[in-house]
Amino acid sequence: MLKLLAKVCAVAVLAAGLTAAPAAAAGEVEVGISQVDLAGPVISTVKVTVKNNSAQRLSKLAVSFRGPVGWTVSPEVRTVKEAVKPGGSAVVDFQIRVPEPRPGFTIRTFTATATYAGGQAVGTSSQRSGTPLPNLAAAFNNVGVTDESNPAPGDFDGDGNSFSAQRLAAAGVTPGATVTALGATLTWPNVQPGTKDNAAGGGQTIEFTGQGQRLVLLGSGSSLSAVGTVTIWYADGTSSTGSVGFPNWSFQDAGTHGATLAISTPGRNTPAGYANAEYQYRVFANSVPLDPAKKVELVTLPSTGSLHVFALATA
Amino acid sequence: MSPTSSRRTVLGAGVAGVLAAAGAAGQAHAGSTTESTTGTVPARRPGQRSMVDVPFQQYGTVRIGLIGLGNRGAGMLSGWAAVPGAVVTAVCDIRADRAKAAADKLVQLGKPRPTEYGGSATAYQKLVRSGDVDLVYIATPWEFHYEQGKAALLGGKHVGVELPIATELAQLWDLVDTSERTRRHLWLMENCSYGRNELAMLKMAHEGLFGEITNGHGGYLHDLRELLFSDTYYTDAWRRKWHTRSTASFYAMHGLAPIAAAMDINRGDRMTTLRATATAPRGLADYRERNIPRTHSSWNETYINGDLVTCLIETSKGRVIRAEHDVSSPRPYSRINSLAGSRGIFEDYVPVGTTGGRVYLEPDHGGHSWQDFAPYRQEFDHWLWKKIGDDAANNGGHGGMDYVLQWRIVQQMRAGLVPDIDVYDSAVWCSPVPLSVESLKREGRPVEVPDFTRGRWSELRLGLDSRETDMPPVG
Repeated sequence: MLKLLAKVCAVAVLAAGLTAAPAAAAGEVEVGISQVDLAGPVISTVKVTVKNNSAQRLSKLAVSFRGPVGWTVSPEVRTVKEAVKPGGSAVVDFQIRVPEPRPGFTIRTFTATATYAGGQAVGTSSQRSGTPLPNLAAAFNNVGVTDESNPAPGDFDGDGNSFSAQRLAAAGVTPGATVTALGATLTWPNVQPGTKDNAAGGGQTIEFTGQGQRLVLLGSGSSLSAVGTVTIWYADGTSSTGSVGFPNWSFQDAGTHGATLAISTPGRNTPAGYANAEYQYRVFANSVPLDPAKKVELVTLPSTGSLHVFALATA
Repeated sequence: MSPTSSRRTVLGAGVAGVLAAAGAAGQAHAGSTTESTTGTVPARRPGQRSMVDVPFQQYGTVRIGLIGLGNRGAGMLSGWAAVPGAVVTAVCDIRADRAKAAADKLVQLGKPRPTEYGGSATAYQKLVRSGDVDLVYIATPWEFHYEQGKAALLGGKHVGVELPIATELAQLWDLVDTSERTRRHLWLMENCSYGRNELAMLKMAHEGLFGEITNGHGGYLHDLRELLFSDTYYTDAWRRKWHTRSTASFYAMHGLAPIAAAMDINRGDRMTTLRATATAPRGLADYRERNIPRTHSSWNETYINGDLVTCLIETSKGRVIRAEHDVSSPRPYSRINSLAGSRGIFEDYVPVGTTGGRVYLEPDHGGHSWQDFAPYRQEFDHWLWKKIGDDAANNGGHGGMDYVLQWRIVQQMRAGLVPDIDVYDSAVWCSPVPLSVESLKREGRPVEVPDFTRGRWSELRLGLDSRETDMPPVG
């Protein structure tokens, strides 16, 4: 049995009674989760091991287990009748309904919680399947910039419209150019106009190395609701999430969804050519917070298709 | 009793009658908040064992006998004959000419001529005792289902029964017990559970896209008025006559079952109580007034079943299912098919996109705007549809889900698999028929839904969301 004991957190709770025995201190109770068979659909049996590293007996032990939201677990709680001696362990079984694997890269997180007289300990495990995309460019699935002489490949908004490469260049944004926003230095996609240059949100997970206070995303929205959740996966196996959104490239206030204007160009390319010069078409920056003490390993983009990302960087 | 009373009428009239389970010697549920005894679980007889997770024995060829060759039975004939490794060996109808016509059709299809049974109400008894039948398929009027299903079990056959498997609680329990005693499976031929949208919805639920499931709605909303008053469609107008006997949710299973599956009913959760409401019966009488000549036999009838009968079913995990039945009002067809949870919702039967479905799922969607179901159905398309969807379109009715159901049943029997739908699922899905009657008698107060699994509902089991397997090779 492969045990994943790495992520353990124990919280001691003050005993209610004056005569209560001292509780196991934080870190003295470890909760381990066996590997889950992810080759669903299957009913997978999971063993949760509660190891007592303290000098106290662990009594009134109850263990719960849960997987990703919506995955059914049975039973919801198991109780352990006998106290766990110092140095000893208790092992309980749960069943979990595992769905058919989704295509692409997925990370499944499981959590077990051990509650005992005077405290609580939590163990988590994350299991990955599939391979993440090597970088943001590998996730590019949309043509957002075209040359005014050839706007046909563009389809930033689903109606065949796109940013003008000439107007972007006039604003100092050319392939591979540097864009500074929210304290981050971002690199504009180093691809030719008329080729895929941005990732429309599809829940893609990409490899991304960095560390800092926040992850800055450079992008724009092709709807009025270009909002989604970014998941940050750290090298230590933990994760965090943050909501991010971009205003519509032309029709919303630049501060919508907490975004900041980064690039603004007059007009756009339509299937018939450059047009709408009276309007500004814009690219924004927005960010999600990071745990500054941890190294980022992977980033999962939002699943919102109208949220387009041109570049990522930490700040 | 109506002037057209017959054996069917007498058999069917019991829907509002006996509610105590057959041989009931068990215990009432503790802590009940209801006044009914519908939740009483009868004790098993010595030696009687659960059929939960019991696989079929393996059959090289599945020999099928059909009882009832009216609209539904005759419509399913060619599908059964088309499934690899299946052969129709017997056909039966109270009208011998129908049995002969079915046999002729099979010969025309290049299949062996089956044995014909017919000409009397008891002809089916010979079929169920036949030595060359493994699976009995019953598509007779509702009032015959219990009697014929039980007889088939006692004849040592596995049994697929059209909706409902029975109309009384005691009958449902008796079918459960008879299945357990004979070690033969009996299941509801719930084709809509194999619908493409329904199966994708199920897989999305298991993936967790809806978050924690909290509620679902299903039903059978089908304007059958013209057919109910037809002199030829339903033999002896059997279905219309049910509307003269009782106020009940007769036929909500097509919408209820897919929702129950998505909630893992009997596979981690269970229905606990049911409360019913019924509107006044207006639709059939109004239709008759406007469309049916005064000389028609229906003018002797009084319709008492509410046009819209709604059941609210609660589960042990605090979920709520709304199951509706309405076949007597003017309206477009719908089985509703709506499932919702803490992170999103699916709704079927909406006029959008190519699938008729729409979704709203966090975090994918926002802005209070519905999104097309199509990309989700594509990703979560069930392996059965990917494997035999083309065959289904060519061989079966109801958009192909009839054939998918038939193919899967034969596959399970030939491969020795555990059935996707078992007698416990079938019993609980059909229990709103008698339980709605009981609740309505109590002015809509909740009545207990019995645990037909006798405690095994909390075990996680695969069902319709199954693992892909091949049909064993033929020959």
